[in-house]
Amino acid sequence: MMRRLPRWAGMALALAGLALAWQLAALVLDRPFLPGPGAAAAAMARLLARGDLSTHAGASLRRVLLAVSISFAPAAALGLAAGRSARLDAIVAPLLYILHPLPKVAFLPVILVALGLGEASKVFLVGLIVFSQIMVAARDAASRVPRETVDAVRSLGAGRLSVAFLVIVPASLPDLFTALRVSLGTAIAVLFLAETFATQTGLGWFIVDAWARVSYPEMYAGIMALSLAGLGLFALLDLAERLACPWRSRRPY
Amino acid sequence: MVAFRAVSIRYQGGVEAVEDCSAACEPGEITAIVGPSGCGKTSLLRAAAGLLHPSAGEIAAHGGPVAGPDRRTALVFQDFGLLPWRSVEGNAALPLQLDGVSRRERRRRVAPILDELGLSAWRDAWPGTLSGGMKQRVAIARALASEPDLLLMDEPFSSLDALTRESAQDFLLALWRKRPMTIVLVTHSIEEAAYLAGTVFVMGGRNPGRMRARFSIPANAAAARFLPGAPDFRSDPRFLEACRDIRSALKGDAAPGVPA
Repeated sequence: MMRRLPRWAGMALALAGLALAWQLAALVLDRPFLPGPGAAAAAMARLLARGDLSTHAGASLRRVLLAVSISFAPAAALGLAAGRSARLDAIVAPLLYILHPLPKVAFLPVILVALGLGEASKVFLVGLIVFSQIMVAARDAASRVPRETVDAVRSLGAGRLSVAFLVIVPASLPDLFTALRVSLGTAIAVLFLAETFATQTGLGWFIVDAWARVSYPEMYAGIMALSLAGLGLFALLDLAERLACPWRSRRPY
Repeated sequence: MVAFRAVSIRYQGGVEAVEDCSAACEPGEITAIVGPSGCGKTSLLRAAAGLLHPSAGEIAAHGGPVAGPDRRTALVFQDFGLLPWRSVEGNAALPLQLDGVSRRERRRRVAPILDELGLSAWRDAWPGTLSGGMKQRVAIARALASEPDLLLMDEPFSSLDALTRESAQDFLLALWRKRPMTIVLVTHSIEEAAYLAGTVFVMGGRNPGRMRARFSIPANAAAARFLPGAPDFRSDPRFLEACRDIRSALKGDAAPGVPA
């Protein structure tokens, strides 16, 4: 049997494959809007040296992290509670079913008018999207916790609060991490859109600006930075999940 | 110790799980409730644990009516009901933690129980890495950690393979003989009931299930059976006879036992 590839080797292989496909496409098309990976990497190195790219990446990352950290806990708490309490769910579920499928980006103009052009509007929009996705996942996860697991703890005399913290929260954690991963992708996409409006920081603005300046290598440097930022966030989430859910992957000894 | 008095249990939606069931389980004895799947025997056990309330009749335990979960009662579930995110020790210590016992004290009190059940080496393992037989021992360790007077077991051995099941049954008997503990177990296995219990209640019917018959197996309570070198009770004629009687009661033949 073939031995499994170490993680770093798999990552390097995937990157090399992407670069190769990119290079081939650039050679075949031979048009200015698709420079090769070499030119984009050179632009990226130049921008990094000047400090531009890190400023913009930092601004985008800060917005995403802020939005996620503000919305995660209340969304998870409300979703878990709704998943366990029929009385609460009777109020929450209809709201969720009406509001969750709505594309929150559609409210971007309203949010911009209401919260201004500064950081608040972008953080709020991203936070809103993360909130509804986490809440949907938390509600489903909590309602799926096996009755026997809950009863086992209840039969030992545990009250509602003990059941919530000893059973419902840990049982739902893996699902919450999956929801975070999914919503992170959406969050970055929406942030990109929000950053193209009325701001001069963030990778979204940087990419559109480079496009307007017909500086394609810089545009691709921005796209690569966005993808690296996403990769970094995913790696961070993986680490957090390994620490928070050790029973899922490793034995403690 | 536990008495079911004319107990009926109705689920939300009106389905009647059991109707008019009466049974008395003697203190310090092992009592088995045998019946086919769907006869409501698990509902009776859950009601005795205080997890659901009878729609009619009364259940008494510890000298009073059962109103809710009681710290003197422990319940072992069919699928063990372990928390996958807690180590073996963390699962076993759960009742003590709910009582507010400190972490160090929990360790100290759970250690001899894990030792007795042969789990010490797996103290820090996750339940997901254990075999079915070991998971069940963790579930029993958790039940024993609360030092219960009454141990309720729902199909405790049904998910174990035949050989593991027999040694688990002997193990349970050994634990029981060391403690002043009343055990009520629910099973669909005739042999299991006849091997373990001093009193066997046979249930039948479905939605609602009813008590059909009651058998005494005095040999199971007799100390002679547990003398070192005593022959395996599974090949004793009294065991085979008890199995035959319970089987015919389950089939609904004219019950040779005492009508319950």
